[in-house]
Amino acid sequence: MFRRILEQPRHWLLVVALVVAVQQLLSAALVYSKAALAPVLMERAWQLTLADGGRSHKPWPWADTWPVARLQVPALGIDQFVLAGASGNALAFGPGLDAAGRSPGEPGTAVIAGHRDTHFRFLQHLQPAMTLQLELPDGRMLRYRVAGAEVVDSRDVVEAPAQFGPAQLELVTCFPFDALRAGGPLRYVVRAEPGAFVNTELERRAAVNNGVLEL
Amino acid sequence: MAEYMDNTTWQRPAGAYWFVLPALPTLIGAVLALLVISASPARAVPAAEIGAGHMQWHSDGSDSYQAALTQHSKLSVTIAGMVAVVQLEQRFENSTDSWQEGIYSFPLPPEAAVRQLEMQVGERRVLGKVRERQQAKKLYQEARVAGKKAALVEQQRANLFTNRIANIAPGEQVTVRLEYVQPASYVDGEFALRIPTTLTPRYIPGVSALRGLEDQTGAQAASLSVDQYLGWAKPTIRVPDADAVTPLLYPQTGSDFAPLNPMSIDVDLDAGMPLAEVQALYHEMALSRRGDRYQLTLLNGISEMDRDFELRWRPVTGAAPQAAFFTEQVAGQYYGLLMVVPPALVQEDEILPREQIFVIDTSGSMAGEPIEQARQSLKLALAQLRPQDYFNVIAFDSDTRALFNQAMPANRHYVAQASEFVRHLYAGGGTEMLPALERAFRNESSKEEQGAQRLRQVIFITDGAVANEQELFDAIQAQLGHSRLFTVGIGSAPNQWFMQGAADAGRGFSVQVSKIDQVSAQMGQLFERIAAPLAADLSVSWPQQVEAWPSRVADLYRGEPLLQSVHFGDALPAGELLVSGQLAGKFWQQRIALAPQPGGAEQPGVASLWAKRKIASLLSQLAISASEEDIRPAVLDVALTHQLLSPYTSFVAIEEKISRDVNAPLRSNALPNTRPRGQGAQPYAYPNTATTGPANAFLGCFALFIALLIYVMRRPEEDHVSKDS
Repeated sequence: MFRRILEQPRHWLLVVALVVAVQQLLSAALVYSKAALAPVLMERAWQLTLADGGRSHKPWPWADTWPVARLQVPALGIDQFVLAGASGNALAFGPGLDAAGRSPGEPGTAVIAGHRDTHFRFLQHLQPAMTLQLELPDGRMLRYRVAGAEVVDSRDVVEAPAQFGPAQLELVTCFPFDALRAGGPLRYVVRAEPGAFVNTELERRAAVNNGVLEL
Repeated sequence: MAEYMDNTTWQRPAGAYWFVLPALPTLIGAVLALLVISASPARAVPAAEIGAGHMQWHSDGSDSYQAALTQHSKLSVTIAGMVAVVQLEQRFENSTDSWQEGIYSFPLPPEAAVRQLEMQVGERRVLGKVRERQQAKKLYQEARVAGKKAALVEQQRANLFTNRIANIAPGEQVTVRLEYVQPASYVDGEFALRIPTTLTPRYIPGVSALRGLEDQTGAQAASLSVDQYLGWAKPTIRVPDADAVTPLLYPQTGSDFAPLNPMSIDVDLDAGMPLAEVQALYHEMALSRRGDRYQLTLLNGISEMDRDFELRWRPVTGAAPQAAFFTEQVAGQYYGLLMVVPPALVQEDEILPREQIFVIDTSGSMAGEPIEQARQSLKLALAQLRPQDYFNVIAFDSDTRALFNQAMPANRHYVAQASEFVRHLYAGGGTEMLPALERAFRNESSKEEQGAQRLRQVIFITDGAVANEQELFDAIQAQLGHSRLFTVGIGSAPNQWFMQGAADAGRGFSVQVSKIDQVSAQMGQLFERIAAPLAADLSVSWPQQVEAWPSRVADLYRGEPLLQSVHFGDALPAGELLVSGQLAGKFWQQRIALAPQPGGAEQPGVASLWAKRKIASLLSQLAISASEEDIRPAVLDVALTHQLLSPYTSFVAIEEKISRDVNAPLRSNALPNTRPRGQGAQPYAYPNTATTGPANAFLGCFALFIALLIYVMRRPEEDHVSKDS
């Protein structure tokens, strides 16, 4: 009888531990599956956007974000859709374009943020002089050259992205890459400078517009 | 047994895990081992060691901007009555060891009539001439290539000019002197003269024009052509001259003790009446008085060019002029400036219910103190609403966000909601003003008669840092309808031309908030004047045929004077003139005797002001009806006759002597402006860029491990327990 009373909490502990385990593992599965599956729907929305001359299309009817660019790193085989906004609800589905920065291609700094443990894990493998490509909704293809990376502390006063000056691109993710806990103060910032426009794309557009280049 | 019942219930939703249970020990062991391995780099390099600012790898591109040329400005202001003649001296110094061409963009008051240019090198002085813009550019370009010293001053916007100085020798100084005439403003019995010294970076809307593409593909060599202004923006379809209106700014903030762009200011004020108060709002000045003349000079000798200079003077009670008439004779022609203040009326009948739409600019240029000033202004605006009023708040940067879908009654609930909205406004993003204005002018009220009974007032709070001013003026004029637009200029160096132009197009007026402690006074004045009755249908009849500008007098708000510049021909008129209009629905008229003035009372600058007003009036017709082909010759004619700067004419001064050997290289460099005081360093919050995924996975595995431990420890007892049950 005494033993059974001892057994009881042990059973309860087992139950609690298993419930916690399942709940946690399911949350993790949810995080990773959202990150992995969203691009399928984004792809469709992006094709609609391109076909529609740059008008935004939502990937699913109740979505609060939509693709605004396509980011490619040929050297690493990366091909991702950049979503509108860098808030948590957008970042869950892909890297997001921070509204505080400029739009890519405009003078000033455009900031794209992504989660370090899903989409932007590849930032650690970026090397100087690597080429980044950004396809815009209007079909323009921008090319950037990776210029440098640094670790910044977001608790310090950080200046807002430049609203003018050379058209730069910043890719931001959390640092260190293998930390367990979310919400740390450090950020890994990769800066990229504009390269030339991709010629093939320009030529294609020139052909479409009867030889008149329009940007 | 109870615990087994429980087991089944919790296993059902996650049934997949149940069959894994027998293999759990090895599975968990493997997962944990994996986790430990994958997490080990983070432990090997603790976060504290790789701290902020630690460079991983870095390109050799340098971010710092070193100015090759420096500039020292000297402002000498002579005020007589309500007309100021200002000498602006810019001394350029080349501290490098190569020949330089300096490109300096500088602001001037939008109503300034620039009428003289002089270049001085050592003791040699060269007087500039007004030429048609393209011709002036060509002359300058030829002189530059030939190695002659030359200066070219062009107008980019009504309040933004570019000064180019060619062939400054190493270690040499070249001085450029400009003279302009500026009327003092006179509102509510107080005179004010505002002179900008720097500019808030203008936002460039629109997509890149074709020229932008050529630049992008790397034609750096072209940057030495005379068409280049070395601005930071590339031309866009909506702003084709973007590079000319976006001068560089020093990245660091300026200070009065070690100014980046030093300026000295001297003022000689002869108001012509006893004064109760003279003060410079944003500069510390030493004041001395001789009779009725006041002399002001900067207390520290120099100041940074990071804020507007504003001088205000108030006549003693009773001496405030109600009407004034100034004349000047130039080349046998007589010109006049008429100022009449309609009597102020006390509001008698109930003010109609209003529909006030507050539009607030939350773009990146508003970062820092400006957004504070804007929020505070809006707070006061909400506080003055009456329960019978309707209101809405529209915030815009790159996007437009309206608080309500339509104007809501100003009851406590909605006002509280608006206060909350305003409290959470932060500066960031672009300045897409057009959609915000369109939204503000869209009359939401579905019932026509209901809309007609309310006075619709749009209060627009912004720094006006946009480069598509004319496009916006046109849009305001086209969409205004029954609304009236009032602008509240924010910041140390707002775009005065935009503030005034938008208010004129919107048939309202403009007030200015440059410091947080001005908010309550300025907003209070704004709402008092909005509520006071108008002076409408004003007209001036002169005793003889004259050419008067503006030809049609706009309605006046309380305290505003009627101002008209006139050209009389070769004889001054005699007799009296008649000013009439409707004051709060009642007919009002005033006769003013035009006594031919004795010789000494002539007012210098009146003729230039007339010409400037004529040019401004002609250019404003461009927006409504006239085409450029009609307006351009008329403007050119006035500008060339009166030797004034205009969009179509430039000043050019060329020294005959050749100073640079044509084989010596010449470098072009822009002189940066100083960032407006209080603006800028907006703290930026990086997005949160880590998921809870790894932590979830770790915790899940850990909990599984615990469960396993419990399970393993319980196993010997299991038979016993099952027998019991």
